[in-house]
Amino acid sequence: MRLSGFGYLIKEGIKNVWNNRLMSVASVCVLISCLVLTGSAVLFSMNVANIVESVGGKNETTVYLDDNVSNVEAVYIGRDIEKVENVTEAKFYSKEEAFERYKDKLGKEVFENMKNENPLPDAYKITMEDLSKYDSTVKEITAIKGVNKVSSHSETAKKLTSINDLVRILSVAIVFVLGIISLFIISNTIRATMHTRRFEISIMKSVGATNAFVRIPFIVEGIVIGLIAAILSTVAMLFLYDGIVEIIVHIIRFPAIPFSKVAWYTAGIFTLAGVLVGALSGFISIRKYLKKEGNEILGW
Amino acid sequence: MDKIIEFRNVSKTYPSGTNALNNTSITIEKGEFVFIVGASGAGKSTFLKMIMHEETPSRGTIIVNGQNVSTMKRRKVPYLRRSMGIVFQDFRLINKMTVYDNVAFAMRAIGTRPSAVKSRVPYILDLVGLTHKAKSYPSELSGGEQQRVSLARALVNNPAIIIADEPTGNIDPEMSFEIIELLSKINEQGTTILVVTHEHDLVRHFNKRVVVIDKGKVVSDTKNIIDEDDEIEYTDEDFSFINDEFQESEQSGEALEEGE
Repeated sequence: MRLSGFGYLIKEGIKNVWNNRLMSVASVCVLISCLVLTGSAVLFSMNVANIVESVGGKNETTVYLDDNVSNVEAVYIGRDIEKVENVTEAKFYSKEEAFERYKDKLGKEVFENMKNENPLPDAYKITMEDLSKYDSTVKEITAIKGVNKVSSHSETAKKLTSINDLVRILSVAIVFVLGIISLFIISNTIRATMHTRRFEISIMKSVGATNAFVRIPFIVEGIVIGLIAAILSTVAMLFLYDGIVEIIVHIIRFPAIPFSKVAWYTAGIFTLAGVLVGALSGFISIRKYLKKEGNEILGW
Repeated sequence: MDKIIEFRNVSKTYPSGTNALNNTSITIEKGEFVFIVGASGAGKSTFLKMIMHEETPSRGTIIVNGQNVSTMKRRKVPYLRRSMGIVFQDFRLINKMTVYDNVAFAMRAIGTRPSAVKSRVPYILDLVGLTHKAKSYPSELSGGEQQRVSLARALVNNPAIIIADEPTGNIDPEMSFEIIELLSKINEQGTTILVVTHEHDLVRHFNKRVVVIDKGKVVSDTKNIIDEDDEIEYTDEDFSFINDEFQESEQSGEALEEGE
């Protein structure tokens, strides 16, 4: 196939969008709602992950060592803990340190009688990379000789993680369902264009246009619809996101991801999704017509 | 002389059970001008459709331009069609395009370079005498002019064969002669011309080969002048007489001699 005729076919595709503007607007709107909903779900999920991370960072997990562990042994245990997968950092927290901390917290009077006996064990403060793997990581750490027990990690982090998982599953479902709806609506739009242009299609075929050539304007039409929807969705996301974040921050303070940080990411994903859905719609809807010949195309 | 279209024992039965062509054989040579006549439903359009690969034969072999059309792969069909230009009875012009764009459309649809379109279209419009109407829309033209645009579109990709399906069916008699005249002129340049028609006035006026199709068979194939008036009015039963009424005289054959 020669590339020389492409300019013309692309122009025809863009013209299709304009000539069929009512249906095009409808398609763009449907695609926008799909993209915005999907985008919201993804951004929500990203924010939750962000919160979990910051909460998780504050709530280090404490690994308590056995009472009779010597300082040298403790160093070795610390190395073993660091070797466990999912552990990013292990900081030694000596019993003296813990003792001082408690003294500050509870008041010196409580500890006056036990100057020489420190009831607290040595410990390591560890951070995990992925809190959802908390249970299996803890199991591995507990298996290390000299480890007594591991404190349970923050309940908030646990809950947030499970919410995040739920949102992730939901967003996959949303992407799937809305993707199919968009595909359906856009391919119907293109089919309407095709119906109005069936005469031209029949002539193209009778003068010997290849299927690829007949197809291009309709695929371009789909892509243009996809692109317009992607641009408008990004703009809509910008306003929606900042607005919603502001409202939520008023209710609960949380470290929101600023939109500027994800703007390009959002625009990129929207463009990709819009173009893909559009092109696919064009491809699907023309298939039926390509199999027909002559007057069949015209429905005579 | 090379064969350009060859039907060998071709039959076509539609899924509905209609027998459109019945063991038909015919050969058309490069550069010929052939009228195809017959009552409606005789199998003429099936004949044309099979040349264009809009229909494939149930039995038999069709060779067009050296290619076996009956076994042709789908993706090769567009290239077969580029070797033929089609003129329709109802012109099939795109109303929202100018005359120029209607003709250019046939070139653009097969990916011709814009520069080639720019030089070729005016040349073809000049050939059919429509240079001054290039910017008009089909609705502003007479039937004859519209048919000339349709012819220009068929010609623009320089096909080896022109297939005209009742080209004069929708235009007045004077214009009809002009169109056939134009086709003759094109024929003189070596293009093979196939004209399906009902109008025996035309057939009689131009000394060309005439093929009569009836009930899916070629019942007469002659290059003689038809001097009987009523060939078209025959009902199916009357067709047996036709053969006797065609007089066997010397072939006019101008198309054959001038072609290539």
